Amino acid sequence: MRPWARQHTLGLGVAIIVVTNAVALAGVWWNRQPPADSSPTLSERELSLPWRGPRLRENSGLALDLRWRVIDRESAEFGNSVPFNSGTPQWLDAGRMAALGFAPGEVATDAGRRRYLKQLPREAVLVLELAGPAWEYALARARDDAARHAAAAAANPGSKEFAGRAKRAQDALIREESGNSRLFVVDAGRDPEALRRQYPDRSRFLLLHGIVRPAVRDSDNGQTLAAGRIGNFRSIRVQVPHAQRTTLEPFESGPTGQPATGSRYEVSLAVGRRLEPWIIAVSPLSKAR
Amino acid sequence: MTDHAPSRAAAQQRADDIRVFGEELARLEGEGVLRLDAAQRDAIATHHERLLGEFAAVFDVDRDSRAKQLSLGMRVASFLGALALAASVFFLFYQFWGYLPETAQVAVLVTSALASFGLTLFIQGRDATGYFTKLAALVAFACFVLNISMLGQIFNITPTDRALLPWGAMAFLLAYTCDLRLLLAAGICCVIAYTSARIGTWGGVYWLHAGERPENFFPVAALIFAFPLLVPQRRFTGFAATYRIFGLLCLFIPMLVLSHWGQASYLDLEEDLVEGAYQIAGFIGAAMAIWLGARRGWPDTVNTGITFFVIFLYTKFYQWWWEIMPKSLFFLVVGLAAILILLVLKRLRGRLDAYRGGHEA
Repeated sequence: MRPWARQHTLGLGVAIIVVTNAVALAGVWWNRQPPADSSPTLSERELSLPWRGPRLRENSGLALDLRWRVIDRESAEFGNSVPFNSGTPQWLDAGRMAALGFAPGEVATDAGRRRYLKQLPREAVLVLELAGPAWEYALARARDDAARHAAAAAANPGSKEFAGRAKRAQDALIREESGNSRLFVVDAGRDPEALRRQYPDRSRFLLLHGIVRPAVRDSDNGQTLAAGRIGNFRSIRVQVPHAQRTTLEPFESGPTGQPATGSRYEVSLAVGRRLEPWIIAVSPLSKAR
Repeated sequence: MTDHAPSRAAAQQRADDIRVFGEELARLEGEGVLRLDAAQRDAIATHHERLLGEFAAVFDVDRDSRAKQLSLGMRVASFLGALALAASVFFLFYQFWGYLPETAQVAVLVTSALASFGLTLFIQGRDATGYFTKLAALVAFACFVLNISMLGQIFNITPTDRALLPWGAMAFLLAYTCDLRLLLAAGICCVIAYTSARIGTWGGVYWLHAGERPENFFPVAALIFAFPLLVPQRRFTGFAATYRIFGLLCLFIPMLVLSHWGQASYLDLEEDLVEGAYQIAGFIGAAMAIWLGARRGWPDTVNTGITFFVIFLYTKFYQWWWEIMPKSLFFLVVGLAAILILLVLKRLRGRLDAYRGGHEA
């Protein structure tokens, strides 16, 4: 057998580096081939600037955080906040979980519940709706809460507790109207094509890869039901292209996270064939909205 | 895969043997057992000097124990330097990549991976000590890992376990080229992570969560442990031991986890039953590792087996008695257990010596 020469090592090493880069870049090219799977226009409410903590301070790159929500019945009972970037939506029931590949369980018994919750997270294609009925529902609920607490405060003049609740509900309404994300996860499945047929509006419905894990929740009559919890998306951060960076630079020194007084910019996003997103353009808004 | 024979390890072993031979010869002469005449003494000394000179020129071997101690210091410095340089490359890129357009970012990443790899091979041809080669190899590996992970960030590529394959391939290539155990360990870790993730995804689990079922690591544990038996590693210092140690870690760590957290098992049984089963399996597995290591002359396997046997034993002691026993009694039991282990190992060593003696006779 001929000895292994340094030239072989060089050739093999270069091949590993070049082929790996080529495969990765070919995947990017394939993902970005038109037409895009979806191309919504999002605002700062959905794609917010990250908080520059110690970990990011030396990082000169800029990525926007994708913020999404679900209508979670249990959390709604505590004030009117709808959780961000995780949650147990009501539509994610036992049937939907079975369709995602989870083994159904007799969650009414301790053993069955343990067996059901023991299952590990699975990947799913999630449908995100922009400013649709789910957001309108959250908005209406925030308005109802604000009105209810304002009425209670008016009926109990001089009560600090009622006045405080009314203020918190009013603040929550303001956040819901001008700051909170309008992007809601409304469905999940395994087949992106089937989901796209079901949700054909590509400017309003985004399909992204996400993670679903088993959960349980209580029904109105106190029964324990099998449910699912949506965890982080795989593309939770979207890198800002160098060419678009200058548009966002004036805002980087300002507040980060969820905008308090309306969006300062809007982002034209595209999601490609592999359901990987990228930013096409960022434009400042003349008046925050 | 290296193109020089004999290897640096073999040359160092011969240099050590020469030193020990010189010391023992002096003792034998002092005790009057053996006396070489001047011609024989000169012939041996000349031969050894020539050999040591050649080894020093080609492999920069340590000629005495003082040089060996210094070499250990150099190895530590080389390792720390490599870690610091790899971190420096990472943070340097992080500091400036935002100011570059995407094409330039990709060009910088690919060029740094290629250049650091080429530099490693260039240094290897000129570095007899191997320390600078090892340092460069670690930096080259870090550059390649940075290259692929940053491509993922720049283009929002979905994270995938498949990235572990080229990383593993590069780690193995550099490890075998530069005789570098640290990169061998990195390559083995990539194989372990990839295989366990694949096993998890076959069951539909998202790959990043596959580690939450520790049993996913068992098949790769067997593969890694058996690898040096299937592909001999004689030319590479400590490679076979590294494979065996990682194989055993891959077996015993999941067993240890499952012996305390039965819920993580695939087995659809009561948690207590699963935990008990893995505790017993852990003791049996550790005992078998000690026996196999002693039988085959693998000190790494014996030591790993003993370490995990003791961990399994002491965690059980803690669970059973820490709360109910006075601390003095608890530590007395722990001490007595250690003495018992010593006695068992001593007996095992005696039997092995007898076994070897019988075979040699």
